[in-house]
Amino acid sequence: MILALETSCDDTCAAVVTREGEIRSNVVSSQGVHARFGGVVPEWASRHHLELVNLVVDQAMEGSSWDELDAIAVTQGPGLVGALLVGVATAKGLAASRRLPLIPVNHLQGHVAANFLGGFEPPFLCLVASGGHTFLARVTDHRGYETLGQTLDDAAGEAFDKGARLLGLGYPGGPALSKLALEGDPTAFKFPIAARVAGLDFSFAGLKTALLYKVRDLGDEAEGLKADLAASYEHAIVEALMLRVERALEGENEPRLAIGGGVAANRLLRERAQSLGVPVHVPPHALCTDNAAMIASAARYLEPTPYPDYLALDAYATKRAA
Amino acid sequence: MTTGALVGIDTSTKSTSVAVMVPGGREVERRDDPGPNDQPRHAEVLQPLIERALEQAAVEWSDVTRICVGVGPGGFTGLRLGISTARALAQGHDVEVVGVSSLEALARGVEMASPKELDLPGHPEVAGPVLAVIDARRGEVYAAIYRHHRTTMEPGVFPPAELAERVAARREWGRSPMLGVGDGAVRFRAELERAGVAVPSDSSRAHRVSALMVCRLGRARDAVDRDALLPDYHREPDAVPPAPPK
Ligand SMILES: [Zn+2]
Repeated sequence: MILALETSCDDTCAAVVTREGEIRSNVVSSQGVHARFGGVVPEWASRHHLELVNLVVDQAMEGSSWDELDAIAVTQGPGLVGALLVGVATAKGLAASRRLPLIPVNHLQGHVAANFLGGFEPPFLCLVASGGHTFLARVTDHRGYETLGQTLDDAAGEAFDKGARLLGLGYPGGPALSKLALEGDPTAFKFPIAARVAGLDFSFAGLKTALLYKVRDLGDEAEGLKADLAASYEHAIVEALMLRVERALEGENEPRLAIGGGVAANRLLRERAQSLGVPVHVPPHALCTDNAAMIASAARYLEPTPYPDYLALDAYATKRAA
Repeated sequence: MTTGALVGIDTSTKSTSVAVMVPGGREVERRDDPGPNDQPRHAEVLQPLIERALEQAAVEWSDVTRICVGVGPGGFTGLRLGISTARALAQGHDVEVVGVSSLEALARGVEMASPKELDLPGHPEVAGPVLAVIDARRGEVYAAIYRHHRTTMEPGVFPPAELAERVAARREWGRSPMLGVGDGAVRFRAELERAGVAVPSDSSRAHRVSALMVCRLGRARDAVDRDALLPDYHREPDAVPPAPPK
């Protein structure tokens, strides 16, 4: 049984998962403080992680015994380094005190491994789209993946949030934008989907700028056309994602698709994926957004670092090969 | 007052200091002091140092009853590392935690330095006022004044010139000069010396926060709730929202 911690962004997460992949607990404590700043403030995130982390571990351990654990897993990166460090220091301290091995996990591998919890096994292509990352991977085994494409600028979730802010829908605005889009016409405006970006990389910066100009050009009219703007904007994000997915699936012998990250909750994206005619797996919402069960899931297949070899382990902020 | 062994941690400055103290028995301190141009190494060295200190003191975790940790003020990331490590060890071993002011530990640490290390003309007595100064970066310092184990100026964050002005205006000067210690006193030596503060040579041990002193101070205090053990930040975060979309 594995206790996992995840503190790479603004959610303080701990989970207990068995070696077989049964989720005993999956606790997420979201920080409400970032809404008023319109984004995640790293120093606030780090402060909140420290306040909450031991409590969240206690909650995750409710109903389980420390003696049942055979390893502790933790997100080592990528993410906000000050935030990651709280989780890494806590995991190291807990592991050392119980003389347990530690399993450092790459956060992105965690998103991929969320699929294994639902019994969706490799090989498959995996699209992960959230506020922090957007990438397309070929998953052929449980320990890693091959990155086929990634965003060159903003993440898809970030594009949703920025669009929502431009339309005055608050933060985080992705779900609000999708809700408004239901009442609008997705073909009312044509927004760019960066189709000219070769290969399987994503780009959302131009889309955001196009919306900004459109709102500016419409002036007073924009207010009345907000639903159409939202629907067209959402349509463009989903098409930009699916264009790469379709390109990638074409090259697969046995095309299967998994979708993860917070954007996987998007209704339009799910509908579009289901219409591709290939098996599609979308984990439950709680396993798509940042959580520690996915970190534990990834850890099940990785080599544990025995005590005391991990005592000097540090977090890393930027991407490293998974 | 606890009777078991204590583990001490301080990560308020670039240095990492750990200690193991057996009341009436062995005292061990191990530390890592990065050079002036080096980055702090708290994450890499803290836990290995704790293990080595325990080994050197021949103390098992089952003998430890309390972890004492410096809560700053100081560098935020370093403090969070020290505190989250202390809390996790306390959670795993089921021992008490106590927070101690890093400025107070710094000031009281003067007692542990030899007169030669203080290296000051006229050999001022250490019973005089002690100005503890920790570099707060961005051109500011955290500082407080202690005398005879009492706080005579509460901890605060100051530009060095303002601190020097305040210190010069104080009336607690006895026969011995006020002693200025800490990485902030070294960094802003010129300003403090102009205000009449005696600052030991840069390499003096008096400038280092000692986890052993954190243990000595923490031993006599009441344990606190684990989740209430937090850094003494003294500064609000720069809550600058990300730039609006362009
Ligand atoms: Zn994520």
